[in-house]
Amino acid sequence: MSALPRIDTYPPPAAPAAPKAVSPIHVGQGVTPLPLPMPAATAPSLWQRFWQGRGATALLGALSIASVLLFWQLATHYKLDAYIRFNNIPTPAQVMEKVIEVNSSPKFVTNIGISVRRILLGFLVATALGVGLGVVIGRYRWARALAMPALEVFRPIPAIAWVPMSIMLWPDNEVSIVFITFLGAFFPILLNTVHGVQAIDPVLLRAARTLGAGEASLLRHVVLPGALPHIFTGLAVGMGVAWVSLIAAEMISGQFGIGYFTWEAYSLISYAEIALGMITIGVLGLLCSGGIRLLAKLAMPWQAHSTGAP
Amino acid sequence: MDMSVASQGRVDVRDLHIRFQSKGQDFEAVRAANVQVRPGEFVSLIGPSGCGKSTLLNAVAGFLKPTAGQVLLDGQRITGPGSDRGVVFQQYSLFPWMTVRANVEFGLRMKGASANERQAQARTLLGLAGLLAFENHYPDQLSGGMKQRVGIVRALATSPQVLLMDEPFGALDSQTRVVMQEILTNMWQRLRISVLFITHDIEEAVFLSDRIYVMTARPGRIKAELDVPLPRPRTAAMTSEPEFAAMVKQIKGLIREESIAAMGGELSDGGLVGLSTEVGPQGVGHLV
Repeated sequence: MSALPRIDTYPPPAAPAAPKAVSPIHVGQGVTPLPLPMPAATAPSLWQRFWQGRGATALLGALSIASVLLFWQLATHYKLDAYIRFNNIPTPAQVMEKVIEVNSSPKFVTNIGISVRRILLGFLVATALGVGLGVVIGRYRWARALAMPALEVFRPIPAIAWVPMSIMLWPDNEVSIVFITFLGAFFPILLNTVHGVQAIDPVLLRAARTLGAGEASLLRHVVLPGALPHIFTGLAVGMGVAWVSLIAAEMISGQFGIGYFTWEAYSLISYAEIALGMITIGVLGLLCSGGIRLLAKLAMPWQAHSTGAP
Repeated sequence: MDMSVASQGRVDVRDLHIRFQSKGQDFEAVRAANVQVRPGEFVSLIGPSGCGKSTLLNAVAGFLKPTAGQVLLDGQRITGPGSDRGVVFQQYSLFPWMTVRANVEFGLRMKGASANERQAQARTLLGLAGLLAFENHYPDQLSGGMKQRVGIVRALATSPQVLLMDEPFGALDSQTRVVMQEILTNMWQRLRISVLFITHDIEEAVFLSDRIYVMTARPGRIKAELDVPLPRPRTAAMTSEPEFAAMVKQIKGLIREESIAAMGGELSDGGLVGLSTEVGPQGVGHLV
């Protein structure tokens, strides 16, 4: 903060007002415009309207999933063996059968419940600490100077590398798995929050101060909402890494959980269960990132109107 | 809101000096500036680009401390930003996450006003600016001119003693700019608040102001102080009257000398000394 920004320069750095769109017939200056037929004036055909609508997106989506299933079915049915081998891979039908079978006992659902609880615990702690610490580090130079060197040392260590240390560190296996999950989510959330706080336009902070905001109000009403878009990026990335870390931790050290279920299936040579475990992990991850997207929409209603909206 | 003629809102800038350290170099932005805004008066500060007029305004806003001299509001020394001075910035400074009304209510919220009180005040002012229909919109849904109108309304909402405006229409296209000037002069006519207005647009300054200070090129000093004899309330028709044109011409002459001096200075600073000969002896005379 030694030098003050040159705010009194001209031309102003702010973006100029968007120019009005000029229709092409006015482009030829000084020429009497001819009433040329405009291609956009013709009514779109039924096919064009379908192609641009939601129906087409849904259809292509279904096609995308169906082609994966079809390939899976064909590859396993004909036992495709071309460097990658489908000899032992279960067919979609076998996996479907497994879905019904595992749901006859509560074990499978319990495993899912345990994994979800671990994710939620680790992720919530990571969010609270990551956002809290991120705001402080992003806002105050002394905090940044104090905390960042230590955090930079730990950041490159993948959460999975913490598994043995974590088992020694925590008295309980359950806590150590939650800790691994937390570590996976923490750094993306922290770093994105720091970045979000630093990216806030300083004129907004100045404006708030001229309107009588003290430091606490500034943090609550300007810094936090201003950083929210970046925070949610951090949460989305963090959720992905949290799942990676959780599954790895469950496979290595776990009892229970969907990662443990999948690894156990491999040990027991239950091929259909391996596929089922994988698909379940995929669906759970999808639901979690969908949840965060929904939360972002609810927390940032103004974003619906910003760039990109017509 | 008190709509009567203001009794408070006197700004006194006395012998103001402002220096910065920029990349190890000492940089003098403002030298010995004396500026006054009397209660209820509309005063413009005009000068070539980079002359330190925004720096002076920032000192009144409380964003920077004077190196020497004093900045007083109603006799009280200014020590930092506060809601007794409403600021309208050149860049759009609305909080994107708040609706138009929430933006306007922000200052009152900071003062601890009740929700009813805030809403009433915000809606009165938004009505005055013709923005009531947009109270629940987000800033990103508004045009540039509307955003800046909300910015003005927000700065007025806490009933400040003085309104500080830093080239508020600088980012707008020329058509919008003219309309905004009319809206502002109408609002001022109703509220009669003291205004310190920074601009590089001479017509804008003449149209809006009671008094105009012309600043020199860097370091900024007050070169001239002129009263604007045009009657109130101001209308767009006045801009085509000979009085208006004469005033604009006079200021244009004053600014031109300074702009040439500023350009000459910049060019020789940048190492392009050869080019400074183009500005002629008039410009070179100001280089020292």
